[in-house]
Amino acid sequence: MSVFGGDSWGREAQYRKRRVDDLLLDTADHSSYRKLPTGKYACLVCPHNPVLDTPLMLSMHMKASRHCAAERKLKQREEERQNDMNKRIALSLESTSMTRTGNTSTKQTNLAAKPLIERTRKATLEVLNGYPERGAANNSQSRWPIPERSSDLTNSTSVQMEGSGKDVVQLLSDHRERRERELRFTSAGWKRDCHGGWFRDENVEFDSDEEDPNVSLAIGE
Amino acid sequence: MYLYNLTLQQATGIVCAINGSFSGGNKSQEIVVARGKVLELLRPDENGKIQTILSVDVFGAIRSLAQFRLTGAQKDYIVVGSDSGRIVILEYNKEKNVFDKIHQETFGKSGSRRIVPGQYLAIDPKGRAVMIGACEKQKLVYVLNRDTAARLTISSPLEAHKSHTITYSIAGVDCGFDNPIFAAIELDYSEADQDSTGQAANEAQKHLTFYELDLGLNHVSRKWSEQVDNGANMLVTVPGGGDGPSGVLVCAENFVIYKNQGHPDVRAVIPRRADLPAERGVLIVSATMHKQKSMFFFLLQTEYGDVFKVTLDHDNERVTELKIKYFDTIPVSSSMCVMKLGFLFAASEFGNHALYQFQAIGADPDVESSSATLMETDEGFQPVFFKPRGLKNLVRIDQVESLMPIMDMKVVNLFEEETPQIFTLCGRGPRSSLRILRPGLAISEMAVSQLPGVPSAVWTVKKNVNDEFDAYIVVSFANATLVLSIGETVEEVSDSGFLDTTPSLAVSLIGDDSLMQVHPSGIRHIREDGRINEWRTPGKRTIVKVGSNRLQVVIALSGGEIIYFEVDMTGQLMEVEKNEMSGDVACLDIAPVPEGRQRSRFLAVGSYDNTIRILSLDPDDCMQVLSLTSVSSPPESLLFLEVQASVGGEDGADHPASLFLNAGLQSGVLFRTVVDMVTGQLSDARSRFLGLRAPKLFSVLVRGRRAMLCLSSRPWLGYVHQGHFLLTPLSYETLEYAASFSSDQCAEGVVAVAGDALRVFTIERLGETFNETAIPLRYTPRKFVFHPKKKLLVTIESDQGAFPAELRESAKKECFEAAGQGENGKMEIENGGDDEDKDDPLSDEQYGYPKAEADKWVSCIRVLDPKSTETTCLLELQDNEAAFSICTVNFHDKEYGTLLAVGTAKGLQFWPKRSLTAGYIHIYRFVKDGRSLELLHKTQVDGIPLALCQFQGRLLAGIGSVLRLYDLGKRRLLRKCENKLFPNTINSIHTYRDRIYVGDIQESFHYCKYRRDENQLYVFADDSVPRWLTAAYHVDFDTMAGADKFGNIYFVRLPQDVSDEIEEDPTGGKIKWEQGKLNGAPNKVEEIVQFHVGDVVTCLQKASLIPGGVECVMYGTVMGSLGALLAFNSRDDVDFFSHLEMHMRQEHPPLCGRDHMAYRSAYFPVKDVIDGDLCEQYPTLPLDIQRKIADELDRTPGEILKKLEEVRNKIV
Repeated sequence: MSVFGGDSWGREAQYRKRRVDDLLLDTADHSSYRKLPTGKYACLVCPHNPVLDTPLMLSMHMKASRHCAAERKLKQREEERQNDMNKRIALSLESTSMTRTGNTSTKQTNLAAKPLIERTRKATLEVLNGYPERGAANNSQSRWPIPERSSDLTNSTSVQMEGSGKDVVQLLSDHRERRERELRFTSAGWKRDCHGGWFRDENVEFDSDEEDPNVSLAIGE
Repeated sequence: MYLYNLTLQQATGIVCAINGSFSGGNKSQEIVVARGKVLELLRPDENGKIQTILSVDVFGAIRSLAQFRLTGAQKDYIVVGSDSGRIVILEYNKEKNVFDKIHQETFGKSGSRRIVPGQYLAIDPKGRAVMIGACEKQKLVYVLNRDTAARLTISSPLEAHKSHTITYSIAGVDCGFDNPIFAAIELDYSEADQDSTGQAANEAQKHLTFYELDLGLNHVSRKWSEQVDNGANMLVTVPGGGDGPSGVLVCAENFVIYKNQGHPDVRAVIPRRADLPAERGVLIVSATMHKQKSMFFFLLQTEYGDVFKVTLDHDNERVTELKIKYFDTIPVSSSMCVMKLGFLFAASEFGNHALYQFQAIGADPDVESSSATLMETDEGFQPVFFKPRGLKNLVRIDQVESLMPIMDMKVVNLFEEETPQIFTLCGRGPRSSLRILRPGLAISEMAVSQLPGVPSAVWTVKKNVNDEFDAYIVVSFANATLVLSIGETVEEVSDSGFLDTTPSLAVSLIGDDSLMQVHPSGIRHIREDGRINEWRTPGKRTIVKVGSNRLQVVIALSGGEIIYFEVDMTGQLMEVEKNEMSGDVACLDIAPVPEGRQRSRFLAVGSYDNTIRILSLDPDDCMQVLSLTSVSSPPESLLFLEVQASVGGEDGADHPASLFLNAGLQSGVLFRTVVDMVTGQLSDARSRFLGLRAPKLFSVLVRGRRAMLCLSSRPWLGYVHQGHFLLTPLSYETLEYAASFSSDQCAEGVVAVAGDALRVFTIERLGETFNETAIPLRYTPRKFVFHPKKKLLVTIESDQGAFPAELRESAKKECFEAAGQGENGKMEIENGGDDEDKDDPLSDEQYGYPKAEADKWVSCIRVLDPKSTETTCLLELQDNEAAFSICTVNFHDKEYGTLLAVGTAKGLQFWPKRSLTAGYIHIYRFVKDGRSLELLHKTQVDGIPLALCQFQGRLLAGIGSVLRLYDLGKRRLLRKCENKLFPNTINSIHTYRDRIYVGDIQESFHYCKYRRDENQLYVFADDSVPRWLTAAYHVDFDTMAGADKFGNIYFVRLPQDVSDEIEEDPTGGKIKWEQGKLNGAPNKVEEIVQFHVGDVVTCLQKASLIPGGVECVMYGTVMGSLGALLAFNSRDDVDFFSHLEMHMRQEHPPLCGRDHMAYRSAYFPVKDVIDGDLCEQYPTLPLDIQRKIADELDRTPGEILKKLEEVRNKIV
């Protein structure tokens, strides 16, 4: 086949081949294989992800017994996982439905689909933005037991709630900062003894005016 | 990953050179040089410029060359000793411009081995036999003869082996027409091998042995053997058989000894330079003999570059005196060739090669030592001293540039040009330089002159078709035409007959001897006798475009009418035909008149509707459209380019005659198609983007052939070179209009207009890819880095056994004062030779540095502005310290910004054992806007820091076998973390994110990770193949490219699953506790690419040499060649090229007998690399084989050539 262009029959043949390839691939499930940047195909179903050169080979592979077995196994596992997830969702819906105050957001459906992820996402959002979202504040009620929780939603409580959210954020960022500082000390050659104190690694050199973590971290606390 | 290897610049260093008359006839003298794997034929032309006539890649290492001539013949043959285990005899075929393989005899295994011959070659001076020797044991003698048809024959080999013997040199002994004798310097080590006390080794003695080939018995015997000095290293044949005393000159340390069987030794001391330390001897490194009818002499060059003329006083067979006279000093050469035309070609060991002309042959008195005045004292022989002086007997007339050795290379677009520049550190010692290479042909500007206005076009015309040179340069302005006549000077004339009050559209020679000027309102035809015919345009229409050749003219009028004229028998211009086009004509061109024809058949017309039509000019179907093609944007300029048929010939390729139509499109694309010579059909279209402006096309003459000049945003030249059509940019500014130019002073030039200036230039060194600018450096450059922001570069240079600059200068001054020429000598300390003065009586570049003891080091750090080539700061290191590594580093939260780290060693010695006083890491701060350096502090370390690299705001240093992480302290660097588990010596460090890629000098790559929480460096993967790493480059997160000292390039990759595992290991337990494998790290990298380059690669770099092109891995080698590895992006290409390579391997086996596949797999089997150098030899094959291969590949030869061109254009 010519790839040089021009009026040869090559282009047509190439087109025909591509069409056949497309048709072959159409029959297969799109999630069960991946087209690699090299133009080859990797089977995503089989555990060792075999790489196949052409769609034809891929289609043959998909008919193979080993592939079928792997597919069955995968399906089974998928089902189990789905079951698991449904159970968890059911549980979490129960817990949230007890505390929900009625502002059903459009996110509700999404949230139901991936409750754990959504919760984590919200938590991180809170931490990163420095204040809890409105919806998050509601959720935080369930997770951060605040004494005023049982009372009605008044202005004072909402302020307090915001304050408590800030505390959380503060706490988290403090923690991260502290972790970062500790890392800086470890990478500078400080080590910790079993009492949590810091001592200098004898194989590492230090500057004369180097910060002492025993002092600076203690102040931080 | 599949790669395509292409050598962009052939090796420029020379391993060995021979001269002789290879094309036959006594007049011609050529030089054959071996450049590693390339065999080249050079010839000095009449102007004393060295021209490359033929260059062949032989895919094997050429180790020795010799030439011989059969008695009574006029032509020299070439014998090649290579690593192929074969002896090859070549003959240069002048007609086809190729080397023909006459004989190829196999005698041993391939590869450069101790006992397989190939290292030495010696020829019987009468051309009757050749000896090929190995370094050890084996020597074979082949008898050369003629058969009845006067063809060269070669016998089966005769053995002259002696086991347990090391050979140092062999030479043929000239004994007239007696049995051929070969001499060899040998050392028998059999006793030393047996004796464990070492006493026998100390007493081992070199011998000079004569081997006689008995032509009657067809047998080689040891004829004579005698002890020689243990410093003997080279033999030189002394003429005999009536021309001289016969025998050999033995060059030994400090002496030259004449030896012959039954003759007492005649010994003379080699004069020493006065400033040479006593511990150093003087060795001869290259020698050549020149023989004339009445006399002969030798030129011997010492390792310091001094050339001595050696003469023998003899009385028939008796040598009475051996005289060694100082001749001149030239850079140390690997081979010298004295040519009959009075030239000396010196193939330099490092740096540029030179061609000298003899002014004298050393007849004037000079320092001389003689065997007659040799004095023996208690301490040995009395030395003779001399002082080197300026060239007296030789004068340099040409030099051939050489990058050898490339020490380091980086590709950056520092000057913000269209293409990046390649910065290379080249050379050694005083001949070192920084060379800036730019893709493109070098031009040499002959003249630039200002014009009174801004010209729009320029033409040159001859007065007669038979004239050799052009008569006029005609320049057209917006409303006037200026005519300049070409003679001794170029001056304006008014009697040319040209109309000067109107702009011109075309000026050319028409018919045999009349001139034509086309201007907007008509055609002016100026006959030879001064009669002028004018043709006026009808009505108010004006001429907009013109196309013409010698006999035909076509004009396009505004509105789209085309009028066709022909020159009739009487020389009159006659209107033949008219044709109305659908719209305005954008451009026109007529094909040149074919040989032996009355007219050309084709007219190409480009229109603004994005089409190009081919119209017929035949009387039968005049103005019929023969074919039509559409292009992507309106054509701006058209040019027919005819490629003459060639069967071999000067350009060494077979191809049929073909006609190409080139079109410069407004989008800046050059569109090129083949025009069928009969039907006018267009086929095989190729297009290439040239620049931002629409290319204007002009036909020029280059080496006697038609070539095409394309003027876009930069000028390009399209020409055929060795069978390839090459389209190469010129390193010149933007031009508006050009014409070929030929005059007395400049046979093949180009005249062009740009701005308001007229420029005349010639194009030089065709076939080369790069042109270079050299900036001299002081010592051998080691490495360099770019200052990240300031566009400056910092180099480190160091040399062993040299004196620091101050000492040298003061010594030089003293020397001059002593000689009474203190005023002329340069008093100030010269800045590393960059203000190299032509009349500097003793330029270091030529004479080398005075030698110091071997444990003395000198070194400097230089900040250089490459734009102005100015050194802004030069720090000479003191106290025997030498710099070995360099990097820029930004320490985290420290105030200094970018700092420079330099790793040095003090008092480094390699012999008897590698030792050093101390190693240091210097930290410098950039001051004065980065143009100067200031030492912050230096930290002593316990080894040589051979590799430095920034990592997470700290400095990583490879010190011996230790990888160490440093932080910046107030007084010194602070050691923060180290890993001592590396096998040998770390010589490269690359980092990416938190990974560290460490290259070990003997053990390939190690992948490491730094864990902050534990402050530990872990090695998590390494290579299972021991590689002696010479260059390393980080390709991607898992992949490293490396080169080893045996000439291999390889890529290693960490398997994806391992990489993922390492990255997703939050506890770090995996790295920490995993068991090592094969005495190394727990994981092994996989080799994904493997290729034998055949030359030590010293630097690797990923870069794209064309704007917007894909990146390829470029490499530079010790022999001074540059190559590129391009990754294929389609499977089809891989298939095509691997098949082409396979067919080429079969149909075109390499010239020196090394199997191509075996060569590219010399150390490891070649993997996933296709050799483009072999594929590019396709056009040099005979036509029938080209067709055969093309058939096998289901293509036409044209398609294959197009494909080759395409892939080359992707790289450069």
